[in-house]
Amino acid sequence: MAKYTVKRLLQSLLTVFIIVSIVFVLMRMLPTDYYFTEEQQMKYDEETKHDMLQAAGLLDPIPTQLFRFYRGLLRLDFGESRRIQTGVSVWSIVAGKFTISMRLGLIAMAISLAVGVILGVLQARQKDRLMDHVGTVYTVFVNSVPPLVSYSLVLAFGARILKLPSLYSNRNPGPSSILPIACLALTSIAHYALWTRRYMVDESTKDYIKLARIKGMSSQSIMVRHVLKNAFVPLAQYIPASLLLTLGGSLLVERFFSVPGMGTLMTDAINRYDTNVVQGCVFLYASLGIIGVFLGDILMMILDPRIKLAGGGETR
Amino acid sequence: MKRKATRILAMLLTALLVLSACGGNNNQPADNNNANTPGNTDNTNTTPTEPPAPSNGGEPIKDLVTWESSGTRELEEFFILHTERAADLNVLCNAYSPLLEIDNYGKLQPAVATKWGSEDGKTWTFELRDDVTWVDMEGNEKAKCTAQDWVTAMEWILNFEKNGANNTSMLVTMVEGAMDYYNYTKELAETNPGAAMALTTENNPEFDKVGVKAPDDYTLNYTCINNTPYFDTLCTSAALYPISQAEIDEKGVDGMVGMNNTQMWYNGPYTITEYIMNNEKILTRNPSYWDKDAYLFDTVTIVMIDEATKDDELFDTGEVDNTELSESTLNTIRSNPDDPDNDYLVETRFRKFSYQYQLNFAKNNPDGTPDTNWNTAVTSEAFRKALYYGVNLETTWARLNQVNPLNLENLCFTMQGLLYFEDGTDYTERVIEKLENIGPAGTGSPRRFNEELALQYKEQAMEELTAKGVTFPVQMDYYIKAGGGSALDGATVLKENFERTLGKDFINLNICEFVSSLQQEVVNPRLQSFTGNGWGADYGDVENFLDQIVYGDDNAYYANNYTNINDLTDPDTIALFEEFTRLEREAKNIFDDPDARYEKFAEAEAFLLNHALTIPSNYENAWQMTKINDYSKMHALYGCQTYTYKNWETSTEPYTAEAYAQFVENYNAN
Amino acid sequence: MSKVNQDELFRVVEYSADAAERIGYSNYSYWRSVWHNFLKKKSAVFMAIVFIVLVVFTFIALAIGKYQYTELVSNRETTFLGPCAEYWFGTDNLGRDYWCQVWYAAQVSIKLALVVAVGEAIVGVAIGCLWGYVRWLDRPLTELYNVINNIPTVIYMTLVALIVGQGFGIMATAMIAIGWLVMARNVRNLVLMYRDREYNLASRCLGTPVWRVLVKNIFPYLISVIILRLALSIPGTIALESTLSYLGLGLGAATPSLGLLLRNARNFFLDYPYLLIEPAVIVSLITVTFYLVGNAVSDAADPRNHV
Repeated sequence: MAKYTVKRLLQSLLTVFIIVSIVFVLMRMLPTDYYFTEEQQMKYDEETKHDMLQAAGLLDPIPTQLFRFYRGLLRLDFGESRRIQTGVSVWSIVAGKFTISMRLGLIAMAISLAVGVILGVLQARQKDRLMDHVGTVYTVFVNSVPPLVSYSLVLAFGARILKLPSLYSNRNPGPSSILPIACLALTSIAHYALWTRRYMVDESTKDYIKLARIKGMSSQSIMVRHVLKNAFVPLAQYIPASLLLTLGGSLLVERFFSVPGMGTLMTDAINRYDTNVVQGCVFLYASLGIIGVFLGDILMMILDPRIKLAGGGETR
Repeated sequence: MKRKATRILAMLLTALLVLSACGGNNNQPADNNNANTPGNTDNTNTTPTEPPAPSNGGEPIKDLVTWESSGTRELEEFFILHTERAADLNVLCNAYSPLLEIDNYGKLQPAVATKWGSEDGKTWTFELRDDVTWVDMEGNEKAKCTAQDWVTAMEWILNFEKNGANNTSMLVTMVEGAMDYYNYTKELAETNPGAAMALTTENNPEFDKVGVKAPDDYTLNYTCINNTPYFDTLCTSAALYPISQAEIDEKGVDGMVGMNNTQMWYNGPYTITEYIMNNEKILTRNPSYWDKDAYLFDTVTIVMIDEATKDDELFDTGEVDNTELSESTLNTIRSNPDDPDNDYLVETRFRKFSYQYQLNFAKNNPDGTPDTNWNTAVTSEAFRKALYYGVNLETTWARLNQVNPLNLENLCFTMQGLLYFEDGTDYTERVIEKLENIGPAGTGSPRRFNEELALQYKEQAMEELTAKGVTFPVQMDYYIKAGGGSALDGATVLKENFERTLGKDFINLNICEFVSSLQQEVVNPRLQSFTGNGWGADYGDVENFLDQIVYGDDNAYYANNYTNINDLTDPDTIALFEEFTRLEREAKNIFDDPDARYEKFAEAEAFLLNHALTIPSNYENAWQMTKINDYSKMHALYGCQTYTYKNWETSTEPYTAEAYAQFVENYNAN
Repeated sequence: MSKVNQDELFRVVEYSADAAERIGYSNYSYWRSVWHNFLKKKSAVFMAIVFIVLVVFTFIALAIGKYQYTELVSNRETTFLGPCAEYWFGTDNLGRDYWCQVWYAAQVSIKLALVVAVGEAIVGVAIGCLWGYVRWLDRPLTELYNVINNIPTVIYMTLVALIVGQGFGIMATAMIAIGWLVMARNVRNLVLMYRDREYNLASRCLGTPVWRVLVKNIFPYLISVIILRLALSIPGTIALESTLSYLGLGLGAATPSLGLLLRNARNFFLDYPYLLIEPAVIVSLITVTFYLVGNAVSDAADPRNHV
């Protein structure tokens, strides 16, 4: 177990390492002109620009730059922002964004877990009856209608009819978080409901359930003590990943409601060629994704003693 | 070093928004000898001055909430000397105090300097007030603000290693010794990194040669290279803002760039107490602010929005105090006469930008080869004039202002209302008098558009150019930012406007897209046939406009970026630009007689336009609903102070169109 | 003990495709069963008809419309007209007919979604089979999967737009270049699961070539998953395209897609809801019908549900 964990961790590190390297090289493939703002472009002559690039180490050969980047990476130091907030360290920018995304994400996740699992259970219990159909229509809707449309509907309904604020504000974080949370939860409720239903339906046809029925257990307690408990195990695998990904925020939701979180930070950083911030974000996203999957596997192992992940198992 | 001034330059016409025709003859040049004496108010008095009660029954707003578009309009830099971005300065002008301020008529008014003037136009003396202090974010007093702070700021700006080249451009061309000191620090930085960082205003023989001196704590002298009658207007630009030596000592030279709102020192009307990127900023009244007579808000909140309709929604729910109406909202209100909002529709004042279409005289194809078809066509005066007279921009203006589109017609290069002759005539009026084939004002149709003339020129151009091997229709590439929306709508309308009169057999306007940077993806590789650009003045003189388009000058911003005239090969067109440049230089060298100077500038500008070397397009304004009286705000056509939240008249009730008409009347009467 | 010639008892025969089919012959036909199973689901059949009608209609709609997309002109007099006899879907903010814009964009979106789906399927299945069958490829491909899967899509698409450019071809290629991953992974898992089943082992012992094992023995199990992926891929492509258009990384002004219309409508829909509703309804019809049909076909295609 310990050996397996260590091996998996090392593999994950390698993946993260490859990802940041690729993005680093890709960013360096952009013309160096991109490092200047429009104003700087106008104001500086070629010589000045050359000097500034040199001072920033951007004219060194890529391997040298990569090496310097790795040295920083070892200390988890991504340097300073150039454009988002001139001269401020990447970590402190990210940290500020992070808390906001996380708060919204965690609330949305708690809501969608609760609602999603309950919906899934109801659907499974009333399979092929009204509740099941309602749930199915909902999951189909969410899965197939583009989020741009469904968020617009939430926005129109929330802002026009319920008169909720459509813009996130720190002055009234409560009310102004309702719509973004609703949008975040909208999709993940469907996700949890779908899988809960599927696992429960699968589980309830198994022999031991039949046995329990024959023994005369009430269907209520069968559902809760056997079916749900077992169906929850595969579901649990995804919880750490979704949990960690909430830190990353949802780009579209954040853009829609002007939430100053990680999702918007990343697009801003790319749009302004703030390479250090982009690199920091990519590192964070990749690590969160990979650690999430890893924790999910471990969690599943803990929850279900039957599952043993072999030492040479897959990375996912 | 290329010289270019503050970039308050709104690229691309697509920018929506604008404001109203303000009555003309109000901006008389400031009378320097008539400066007010400072209000001798008690320094310990921190109770705010009450603004006048609004006429419409509301209360003055205490906590203002306003908005700004997110994306490129967000604050990125808190150190005012280190930025030239309008988005930064619009906020920072509230955090720092300048020598001079602008009032709601655009006149210079005393601020930290109570008296100022110059005997010969070269040596300028400013007498400063003694009750200005630097405070931290919480309002704790940190240091006195003295004349030395302006000297320190000058050293900082000119020091290449400390400040990059931010804000240097105007100083090095105006202030004695500034260029030498800048070059000195630049060389020093190259040969001995870090050495220039260690320089200060003390024991610095090189800096002593720069024309800025503080003989005592409250007197400040600047020495200019030439007679510079407009030097005082530069006080409203970030280049002449102060920085505290004590602050630099405390933070270290390295700690200045990259400081944030919690670390910086303030001497302006507000401190920035909260900053959440792309979300909101809160400015809180600075209790130690020197101008006790000014009325300020307790707090000003600036919300960042990313949709053109968002401010309308927020105004509707009372979350913001002003809104610039988007196309659809305005349309909805106007198409329903029963909508009560009809009573509240008012126009904003004109923005300070004068827009033109800048033709590219050395266009490339995307593969890097010259686009000879376009380059040949554009050197034909008949071709240019066909465009100049043949494009009817009425619907383009209507996209900005659907009610009074014709008010937006721009016929000149220089912004109207920037300068006036001794007799009160607007400089641009004089230019228009010199233009050929311009129709009279007030006829209800565009003044320049002339179908008959355009078709005549079209025929002539087709004849001449076909002989030179140009194929028709000539392809014109016009670039907009990808992502559709109003940029695409604007370009679509523009395309129709160009092609409607002149015909698709003559030109074909291609709407092309760039992903994120016009400069980097389009202008540097020279892919555009023309761009729509707006220039806002950095200081109060015509040269700030015309300098941008002269021939053979590395500092001419438009010429080097958009028009590429220095790479022209056609001798006739070169001759035209040389003649224009000669006229402009002549005007620049008249120092003693402002009227003669302006007259000569008008001649040069008319020459430029009569040969259709650039195509003026529009001014900018918009329709709004607001609780703010725009006519009480600072009205600056140059400098960075437009967004100072000082002396604003506001009301908790929105102003009606009627009330606004009264404001305009009162304003024009004064 | 009778003397029997050894050669008559056992003899090596050449592999013959015909003969191989003959064993266990019944009148079972895979595709016929799929078809039967599918027809049993009336709702799915209905959805399939809606989908096909919709696709065909995008062409008809453009032909019968009163305005040609390429000849639209802005008109200040007719801005924001609701649906009416002259403008069946109303007009946009520039006063142009919305009907032809919506259907033209629908065509572009459907084309993009189909191209991407087919591309993903081809690349994904090919690589997935290799991934599952060739043992030493497992390590590198798994690593590749982890790497690509963890680079945020926005960064990837932005870099593509900046380095390569924008356009239909580029966008389709870029989407395929990340979309094949999921398909390949699903295929690989199934191939892994089935390739060592006894009947495959037997088949190989009998000398069946690898391609035949893959195509005849394993592929039928894959079809269901492939179709399910396609069913998800089409709504996914349309959603991603609209998100990218919203961020300004879409197809470009020359090729209007439903995503672009939705994005433009964002500014107006609170006042003029039809501008959002019309493209949204069409997008949703496409995605929902295809999703449901895909699910039904996928169920029908699963050989375990046959016979």
